[in-house]
Amino acid sequence: MTTTLPDTTSQTVRRRQAGRSRLVWPAWGWSFIGMIGVWLCIITVSSGSPIEPLNQALTLAPYLVLVALGQMLVITLGPGNIDVSVGAIISMTAYVSVAVSFSMGPVAGIAAAIAAGIAAASCSVIAILLLRVPPIIATLATSLIVASATLLLAGANRSGAAPALRDFVNAKVAGIPVIAIVVGLVTVAVAFALRRTTFGLAVIATGQSFKAAGKAGIRVPFVTAVVYLLSGTFAGLAGGLLAAFISPSTVLGTSYMLDSIAVVVVGGTLIAGGRPVPFGLWTGATFFVLLSGLLNLVGWSVGAQNILKGVLVVLVVVISSAATRTGRSSLRRLLEGRRTQTPTTKEKIHG
Amino acid sequence: MTTSAPNTAVSYPSPSVVAQPTIRATAVSKHYGNTHALNGIDLEVLSGEILGLVGHNGAGKSTLMRVLAGRERADAGTVRFRDLPGGHAWTGPSAEAAGVRMVHQELALCSDLTVTENAWLSDRRKSGGFGWRRRAERRIVDVLDAVFPGHGIAVIKRAGDLPMAQRQMVEIARALCTETLRLLILDEPTESLGVDTAGQLYAHLRTLTQRGVSVLLISHRMHEVIAHSDRIAVMKDGRVVSVTDAQVTEDELLVAMGGEVRPDAATLDRVVSAEAAGASGDSASRSGTLVAAVANSGGTQFEARSGEIIGLAGLAGQGQEELLQKLWAAGTFSRGTQVSRHRAYVPGDRQTSGILPLWSVAENLTIAASRVISRFGIVSTRRKRELADHWVSALKVLGGAHAPITALSGGNQQKVLIARAFAADAKLVLLDDPFRGVDVATKNELYALMKAEAALGRSIVWYSTENKEMAHCDRVYVFRAGRVVSELRGFTITEERIIADSFDDRTGEIR
Repeated sequence: MTTTLPDTTSQTVRRRQAGRSRLVWPAWGWSFIGMIGVWLCIITVSSGSPIEPLNQALTLAPYLVLVALGQMLVITLGPGNIDVSVGAIISMTAYVSVAVSFSMGPVAGIAAAIAAGIAAASCSVIAILLLRVPPIIATLATSLIVASATLLLAGANRSGAAPALRDFVNAKVAGIPVIAIVVGLVTVAVAFALRRTTFGLAVIATGQSFKAAGKAGIRVPFVTAVVYLLSGTFAGLAGGLLAAFISPSTVLGTSYMLDSIAVVVVGGTLIAGGRPVPFGLWTGATFFVLLSGLLNLVGWSVGAQNILKGVLVVLVVVISSAATRTGRSSLRRLLEGRRTQTPTTKEKIHG
Repeated sequence: MTTSAPNTAVSYPSPSVVAQPTIRATAVSKHYGNTHALNGIDLEVLSGEILGLVGHNGAGKSTLMRVLAGRERADAGTVRFRDLPGGHAWTGPSAEAAGVRMVHQELALCSDLTVTENAWLSDRRKSGGFGWRRRAERRIVDVLDAVFPGHGIAVIKRAGDLPMAQRQMVEIARALCTETLRLLILDEPTESLGVDTAGQLYAHLRTLTQRGVSVLLISHRMHEVIAHSDRIAVMKDGRVVSVTDAQVTEDELLVAMGGEVRPDAATLDRVVSAEAAGASGDSASRSGTLVAAVANSGGTQFEARSGEIIGLAGLAGQGQEELLQKLWAAGTFSRGTQVSRHRAYVPGDRQTSGILPLWSVAENLTIAASRVISRFGIVSTRRKRELADHWVSALKVLGGAHAPITALSGGNQQKVLIARAFAADAKLVLLDDPFRGVDVATKNELYALMKAEAALGRSIVWYSTENKEMAHCDRVYVFRAGRVVSELRGFTITEERIIADSFDDRTGEIR
């Protein structure tokens, strides 16, 4: 077949090569600007200390980042991969954590929450890999199963979170919540794994093209399974911790499903897969937490806030993910629209 | 197969009908990038005749068909249909309006639609909003009954659920639904049909030609072309090298295509096998350790030893890719296949299953080499950089290790993919026709690299649609109808011999 490269690639090369000598605009840059912008708005609107809103955000954001880490790995797996079961898993594992830690101590409680998350995710894995169900349907089905389990657990539950765990999630070192430090370390570990381990590289390669990854000797089904299980792990851990931070309820995790996807996208991770940005989860999550704070301050309802979030996510996907796999921005493709339908079929030359 | 005797007796339509050409291509040329698919074709299909078209891989048959059917515009030259004025552009819609229908080799039915719906799609007659399905159903059933009596096809089934042979019948029948059929182009129509159905098809083609319809028949089955065509055009390297009447023999056609006549090949075979038996060490091919073996039911056993370059030749789609797939995906559960655990694959289709588009050359090159550059799952940046630099400089990849892979030309991308396979330190390297659309200079570099790597003890299995390339192999397996029909060694590996063997009906026929 003929490989006519689009004109834009030569420009991309120049831009990237220029970027080597100077500073490259980071993928999380936009969410960082958004974060600072919202923070400045809050300072002007409210009359408190300027550090106070950031501090507050740091107590809320780690849970969102934790869930989003798993979601980022899943989204990085490539088009069609998404985990919509994280919200339901959080609600369920919060009850699991409380129930187990009541009888066996807080550490066992967290471990049980993680195990429950993995168990739920393995339902999705079975559906995706063995039954060949599209991930969005598979994880949706899982979340329905998990939601009914949550109802059963909620009916039996009589206890609250263990006091030791409660102390842990509220502890602070030098004014910074311990939980933020812990999740920060987890983020660094994930970032390292993505850059420097064979498994991380396999995840990114799969996201760029699962066909090519398979031909390069990567066991795509194995990678897929592990990534969904990791997403379940992170959601389970978040649920276990949230049980102590807030308290178990059947709707505890509901908002985390959409928020985690929003944070991943706003943080600069490519929605089409193949480019994760772990640090962007922090700027993205802080941005969203601050934004909620600001909108609460000016008196927006939750519904109106969700509309704004949805619009933001769509705008971010269209505008800020400038480098898609073809090297052209989504916006330009949107504007050029139907005029330049790229042919999807390849012509073989023989016969 | 039906013999030629009964058909030739009744075949010729009256001369008055033959006189006028239905479609005439004049000096048609077409190229894709550097590849010249057609080099000045002059061809006419007369009304009421069956014109056979033969040629080996890459001769330009499919391209010519697409140009005649208006699917592609020729770069130079003209296509004129009988009544249309000269200046008229020959496009898909105008060809369709003129009554040109094409039956594809790669079946073009929508697998999720029923047979009836598929028939309606290709023949959307003006009708009221209701009842189109019933009318389309009656048409396709009528045609199927007329052409393939006893076909046993349920037209309410989804096309994807039908077996291959029935799908092929539907594909043919829906082309015949057209009322104003003037030119029917058939690409390998009998490849998946049984003997009886093929006979039914050819009988029906005769009734069509008696009504003045022209048929362009492309087939690799020489005896069928000879038995059923009025004239036969032979293509080679994008040209029509000869147009003969149907009184030729198979050997004459093979010679025209660039193949050699079989007795000669048989002599060569004898000489070589005698030589192989005489040589005590049994040459290099036997000395290496066995890297892969596939038991082939009834046919020749496939074997690959270390230090060998093994070619898979034959016409496109005769089972070579399936063999590569078997070798690549072989696991503990695959029976009859024995293969080294360390293997690498070089796909031919760079864009969809080769490159990882968001990564640099270095990252693309080293992704398969985790065994070399990592310890306990953690990648060493230094070793990764060294490996990438080594291959980038060894193969002179333009742009260097840090250039984004998409910025490279096709040839350079292919270099990276081949380097990836060798960098992975694999015992067995599988090449799936990787040099399509790669320029000659790059190809020569890569051939040399392959030889050097084979000399280091790797085993290379190489599928190519280009027979010339097979000269670089130590051994060549020629495929036909999903089986190995012959194994060539040393100087018997010639283009002529490969062409002769890939058309060899006597060894390849499975029915």
